[in-house]
Amino acid sequence: MEIICFIKQVPDNEAQVEVKGDGTGVNVEERYGLNFFDSLAVEEALRIKEKAGGKVTAITLGPERSVEVLRTAIAMGVDEAHLISDFSLQEGDEASTARVLAEAAKKIGYDLILCGREAFDDSSGAVGPMVAEFLGIPAVSVVTKVEVHPEERKAVVEREMEGGKEEIELPLPALLTAQKGLNEPRVPPVMGVMKAMKAEIKRWNLGDLGLDAQEVAPRGKTIRYVPPPKRPPVRYIKGEPQEMVKELVELLRDEAKVI
Amino acid sequence: MDFRLTEEQEFFRKTIADVVDRLIVPRAEEIDQKDEFPWDLWREFTKLGYLGLRYPEEYGGMNMDKVTTMIFYEEITRGSVGFAQSVIMNMLMGTHFVYRFGTEEIKQRCLVPAIRGEKICTICFTEDQSGSDLASIRTTAVRDGDYWIINGTKQWITNGPICDFCTVVATTDPSKGLKGINFFLVEKGTPGFSYGQVINKLGCRGVVTGELVFDNCRIPAENWLGDDLEKGVEYLGEILDEIRIMTGAMALGIARAAYQEALEFARKRVAFGRPIGKYQLIRAKFADMATEMEAARLLIYRAAWMLDQGMNCRKEAIMAKVFATEVCQKVVDEATRIYGANGFALEYAPQRHFRDARFLLYGGGTHEVLRDYLGRLLIGRL
Repeated sequence: MEIICFIKQVPDNEAQVEVKGDGTGVNVEERYGLNFFDSLAVEEALRIKEKAGGKVTAITLGPERSVEVLRTAIAMGVDEAHLISDFSLQEGDEASTARVLAEAAKKIGYDLILCGREAFDDSSGAVGPMVAEFLGIPAVSVVTKVEVHPEERKAVVEREMEGGKEEIELPLPALLTAQKGLNEPRVPPVMGVMKAMKAEIKRWNLGDLGLDAQEVAPRGKTIRYVPPPKRPPVRYIKGEPQEMVKELVELLRDEAKVI
Repeated sequence: MDFRLTEEQEFFRKTIADVVDRLIVPRAEEIDQKDEFPWDLWREFTKLGYLGLRYPEEYGGMNMDKVTTMIFYEEITRGSVGFAQSVIMNMLMGTHFVYRFGTEEIKQRCLVPAIRGEKICTICFTEDQSGSDLASIRTTAVRDGDYWIINGTKQWITNGPICDFCTVVATTDPSKGLKGINFFLVEKGTPGFSYGQVINKLGCRGVVTGELVFDNCRIPAENWLGDDLEKGVEYLGEILDEIRIMTGAMALGIARAAYQEALEFARKRVAFGRPIGKYQLIRAKFADMATEMEAARLLIYRAAWMLDQGMNCRKEAIMAKVFATEVCQKVVDEATRIYGANGFALEYAPQRHFRDARFLLYGGGTHEVLRDYLGRLLIGRL
């Protein structure tokens, strides 16, 4: 089994994020980590490899600092890591990213592609399915269980639905996006960390993938960023219990519109 | 001059911080409250292999530089001081002399399983009447043919009541003071070696600390961990520098835990209609805490870096230990104040850090003794 994991470096959970005053961008505190859903994808890939043999390759697209999440993946047990970095990708949208990742996957070869259901930073959840479309392979998103049958060249997966589960069988090669609950990502052993610290990271730019800037130019454009509305101050309701309840119900219905 | 960690050190820091956040932080409160050695966590953590950081790969180690090991001590202590004490004892003091002077057979029997976490170990300095004043120890080692006979009682022994082997600091000639000090390996099951009382402590709960008794304890000649009976004190000095810097790193770990929790509290807790983090007096506390923790960090990393360079860092190691530990006292104090009355409640973390921090004032040498010694090094013998 040749498995590819697309992973992404995203701001840490605790990083301070602030929309710039003029709405042209976002200031992010320099604290980054591996996207949580992608760590599920890496863990699942490693588990499949441990059973079926083969190789796991992690690929990320991003600035030079993204090397760190590749090292995290290697520490967990990934065999090979590739960084795709190119100045002309800075402005790219989801389709640009998907196009580039699809080309990289073609170059490397795969039986299965795994990635997180979405990235914690932009939360678009579009890249995975788009890659599958570019590659012309089936995809299932938000999976919570994966069973691979290499001999029969198929996978049986489960995804959560409103009030239940859906079981899907699909032929390989395929692409799956990982949902919380799929597994518990492993804690890297020190030998993995040592390996990661020394590992060679393969680097690609657009040219290496046979693409030019035109092909991956974004179609849409972010006009501005808007911060979430400020939480209104806490309001205390005073009076006798019966009046307080009445007022609270009114506020919940008319103002907060939650009942 | 370059103040950055290397890319490898930075990656290691992030990775171990994540390991600590996932495995240790969620257990810290329970470890403190139960005050029992967390065997399950010990097994889970030690199988990851981090205990061999400072030893060569042939024994299952990683041969890491000292700066990286200090980062490790700092991070694991941030998780749980009690647990960290046990781990660090196995990694550093408990195995150092076994590695340095043990025969290959002893290393295979003691060092390798200690690195794997399969054996727990310790070093025994302190006695009833001697702590920082090591010259006054009364535990003796007397040569008898192919054996050494150990007699004495050791107290405040981290991991003591659960150890599989220990390095005993004993005098081979009480008339020589510090020059008589030597190190001996005693293993569990040796006749005359027994476990005494366990200490009920204010902080660092979860690590088992107690008494070890040696009553005509007879050990083979090869269990003397040294090569020259006059040089024990010299070898002790080498490891004391590292122990002091490590204690500083532990202090920084506690301070960081307390600081981070106070920071989150100050962002959320509202008083007079605003988060308390908006008040200048609270902000000033964070400004001072962060500044002093940064100063402590620089002292620790530099002293560790000097160790890596093979430079003499006797003074710098004491400075790092004393300064970081004092900063830690201040930070845990401020953290409890920022929490207000909640800082006095056992269900919130600040009081745990407050109790834990006290230990570092004595572990690794009291500040009274260390500052006096440092002053003497600076002024010279008059």
